[in-house]
Amino acid sequence: MSFREKNRHVGIVGIGETRFSSHREDVNQPEMIREAVKDALDDAGLTMDDIDCVVHGNMELFEMVHQPDLWHTLGTGARGKDAFRLTTGGTTGGTLVGAADNLVASGMYDTVLAIGFEKLQEGHTTGGITNMADPLWARKLQSGALTDSAAVKAIAEFGADRAKRVAMLYRIIMDKHACLNPNSHRAFGLDWDQMEDLMENSPPLIGDLRLIHMCSQSDGACAMILSCEKKAKQQCDHPVWIRDHITVHREETLNLCVNHYPNETTHRFAARHLYERNGITAPLDYFDVFEMYDPSAWWGADWIRDFFLLEGDEHYRLIEEKEIMGGGKMPINPSGGVLAANPIGATAMVRVAEAAKQVRGNAGPHQIPGTVNHAIASSFGGTMWTILMMLEKELNW
Amino acid sequence: MEEEMNVKVSDSLDTMADQELIVLRKTISVDQKFATGPVMGKFLTALKDKRILAIQCPECGRLQSPPREMCAICRVRNREWVEIGPRGEMRMMEYCYYSSPDPLTGESRETPYGAIGILLDGCQKEEVFWHLLRPEHLEMVEMGIVMGDRITRGSRLRPVWAEERSGSIDDIKYFEIDEQAR
Repeated sequence: MSFREKNRHVGIVGIGETRFSSHREDVNQPEMIREAVKDALDDAGLTMDDIDCVVHGNMELFEMVHQPDLWHTLGTGARGKDAFRLTTGGTTGGTLVGAADNLVASGMYDTVLAIGFEKLQEGHTTGGITNMADPLWARKLQSGALTDSAAVKAIAEFGADRAKRVAMLYRIIMDKHACLNPNSHRAFGLDWDQMEDLMENSPPLIGDLRLIHMCSQSDGACAMILSCEKKAKQQCDHPVWIRDHITVHREETLNLCVNHYPNETTHRFAARHLYERNGITAPLDYFDVFEMYDPSAWWGADWIRDFFLLEGDEHYRLIEEKEIMGGGKMPINPSGGVLAANPIGATAMVRVAEAAKQVRGNAGPHQIPGTVNHAIASSFGGTMWTILMMLEKELNW
Repeated sequence: MEEEMNVKVSDSLDTMADQELIVLRKTISVDQKFATGPVMGKFLTALKDKRILAIQCPECGRLQSPPREMCAICRVRNREWVEIGPRGEMRMMEYCYYSSPDPLTGESRETPYGAIGILLDGCQKEEVFWHLLRPEHLEMVEMGIVMGDRITRGSRLRPVWAEERSGSIDDIKYFEIDEQAR
């Protein structure tokens, strides 16, 4: 895998998020995007005059509006500016930040605005995802983003009792985080004593994947402003530096039945390469927070092992000992993660945005205790895409 | 007329806050047709004769069914055809309670249904074939699991062919438990 260092450092100088909700009938798409853009510009103390280029993305097949960037120009502020449009499934938000990072690092633009959005209530999410499958065969069989494969694998490896408990414990921890985040779409107020009830009575979707385990369909937008080192230092007292990012995907599309595929998962492959090239030997010690794209509690619980290159049941013990909560060994998703809100084209960007806010120390009520010097955020797309993004508080690597 | 225009123009967003919000409903219906190409076409044509074909990578030897033009891992063109199955062993099942739409028809699928991975005879490891399970057999099948050296055998399955076959996924109605294997 060839890889070259950046031409110049890139810092995050502005972050904007709408609140996330199942109901944003009060605004149309450009109006909703404008909320996030305005929030990011205000956060950075900039105006659209300072933006050189706009990168815009979502999944067109959800709202079935093609080239929505044209309709959205009033909200994105892209009129008269260079602009790009990107879409890579669930990873879209991470791809947008990665692209903006590369555009600034390349020297082409000093300041880039990246915008991810989705209004899932305006389309059919599962129908849209199913249409990603090839129409010659898999489309008939694909069941949207829903899959039981992680549960099957976990139950085979750890036994039904432990695996189901860990998945539900993970779910309740995420809800406790979501309850602290004012932007959450779903924050139920779940408590530990509801474990048994939820394990038995939450409606099943597929196999052992129950409704409570699965992420929501949300409306919302996220915007981030990235600048080159020189500009970032002028524009912002404490830019958050994007140290490196990696994108990995696999040839097979959507064959989720292949749950014992002998190849390394894209998550572990991405993590291994990213850490190797940055000289990080103990990721669990190095990072202070992790914002993970966790589409379901089963996946979230399982993937911790790959992202931190753990073995055996190390990831289960982190969950069982609640080490993934604020103040723990590795706080995961202080925002509540994807289970709290999932406006798909924005979701992966929200992971980076929330990780960056934790580094700045001004995330709000869900800011974790202690200093956050090193953060990592992941993106996930249905065809086994992985993006990992490393953030740093100081320019000292 | 001009006065009326002036009134509208002076409406600020604030004074519009308590107005009725309108949501426009649209339903999209699109006729589509997809070319199969010669490789997928050969596979689909064989289904008409109740035969399931796989294509083999000349380097790593792995079988792919439905077939793909290339082995994307070895980056070489697949050329050799192998007949597999039609019987096999149940591996992975998605036991679907959620009624997702069938994008080929727009209809909601009947639930529950089982989307399954079948290790057809002649295949190994991850070379599973993706199709549906006969709904009546949902509660009766055993899933085969491969966890490193730990292997448990799944139920034996056989295809149930459609009476009229046109070279599509529907030429196989579903797979069912193979009573002869008991």
